Amino acid sequence: MFSFDPYAPSVDADPFPYYKILRDEHPCFWSKQAQMWVLSRYADIVTAGQDWQTYSSASGNLMTELPNRAGATLGTTDPPRHDRLRGLVQHAFMKRNLEALSGPIREIAAGVAETLRDKRQFDFIDDFSSIFTVRVLFAALGLPMGDEAMVREKAVLMVQSDPVTRAKGPQHLEAYNWMQDYAAGVIAERRANPKDDLISHFSAADIDGDKLDEREVLLTTTTLIMAGIESLGGFMTMMGLNLADHQDARQAVVDHPALVPDAIEESLRFNTSAQRFRRRLQKDVELHGQTMKAGDFVCLAYGAGNRDERQYPNPDSYDIARKPRGHLGFGGGVHACLGTAIARLSAKIAFEEFHKVVPVYRRVAEHLAWMPSSTFRSPLRLDLAVH
Amino acid sequence: MVDIVFVEPSGNRVAVNINEGWSLMQGATTGGVDGILGECGGSCACATCHCYVDEDRLGELPAAGESELDMLDNVAAERRPNSRLACQIKATAALAGLVVTLPDTQE
Repeated sequence: MFSFDPYAPSVDADPFPYYKILRDEHPCFWSKQAQMWVLSRYADIVTAGQDWQTYSSASGNLMTELPNRAGATLGTTDPPRHDRLRGLVQHAFMKRNLEALSGPIREIAAGVAETLRDKRQFDFIDDFSSIFTVRVLFAALGLPMGDEAMVREKAVLMVQSDPVTRAKGPQHLEAYNWMQDYAAGVIAERRANPKDDLISHFSAADIDGDKLDEREVLLTTTTLIMAGIESLGGFMTMMGLNLADHQDARQAVVDHPALVPDAIEESLRFNTSAQRFRRRLQKDVELHGQTMKAGDFVCLAYGAGNRDERQYPNPDSYDIARKPRGHLGFGGGVHACLGTAIARLSAKIAFEEFHKVVPVYRRVAEHLAWMPSSTFRSPLRLDLAVH
Repeated sequence: MVDIVFVEPSGNRVAVNINEGWSLMQGATTGGVDGILGECGGSCACATCHCYVDEDRLGELPAAGESELDMLDNVAAERRPNSRLACQIKATAALAGLVVTLPDTQE
């Protein structure tokens, strides 16, 4: 009998065969292990993403939610509260307002890439993507340098889950608490010495005269740090893996850097790190012969929708000429990723600079160790050989 | 399913059959319409799904909300009285046959 356990190491390693069975045979599937419904077809996920009144985020959006987080962040509130919260931060993340960051981002990318010169082999994560992403986030949020390695370690841990207990383990909760303390320190510092930056504005903001509550300021800041580091780093690692595994695509992008944005979009579709998020039903929904009840949790398997042949022909082929419009690599609808513009900009600059130093590379290990996470998917280590 | 007619910047008219409840942006991008980007994925955060709605039928649409009006300040092409963001308009049976014109530029 078919089962789909988003906590299983085999799903961390390769969810795509499961997704195909889900889409073809069980498009509205009850996962006993996750205790939620799983939607896997592109059209069903888009419909759910557009209908926040039915598919609510207010009970949490991570597959394995962190304690006290639901209701206090952008991803875990519904309109109208969500829209007001988002209005406070989204201008900082608009493409045109990020232009000033492109110089510093390029400097960071070039500097980290330079450390790889003359190396015959390196770990793309430890030696490139994680150093790059944490420095970009620190530059974007104006965080004080010095704690980068620790912040990165905790951001990566807090998104993980335990495959045996199917819950957050003590080390994941400890990382989450550490990150909240770290964010609280930054917020206190900005309140004492306000600057013209995102966290200063946000921590002083009112919504309709109703000051943001402390938990909202704290957990939204915590989430921005987590997403900025883990999600961007995880995505870049998946893109590095795709280019290492598809030598024609890598060569095309190296020869014509103007193709990097096409490789980014196809990587977002093909195997982006944000595989699954959840919603909670506000009313009964009939779908594909099943009745999902009000109060049930529903997994939107973005990674499965992105491989739906009903939307993308030949979906298991990585094709940088595809230009996959409307993909779910950043989710979709009112809760689509806040960081789309900075993620695209950072990944573009990072790969342009990386390829100047390392134009030819291949994956070393056939089998990779994958992060244990019910929500995100990326390898823990990605050794690349330069030849 | 709702038929919406998009007029691309070239003047080409494309009729797209959109699932009820989907936004016009989602329908246009998955339907391969030119002249619309929707970079933010539909969260009303990028102003790259700017469109001009058939003026005669403008009144049939739910009015733009605060965040849409705010984001319309950021459109790249000329903002007109019938400017809307396609990610904020849901396809409903009442809108069947609506003509939506896309501007020359979105960025």
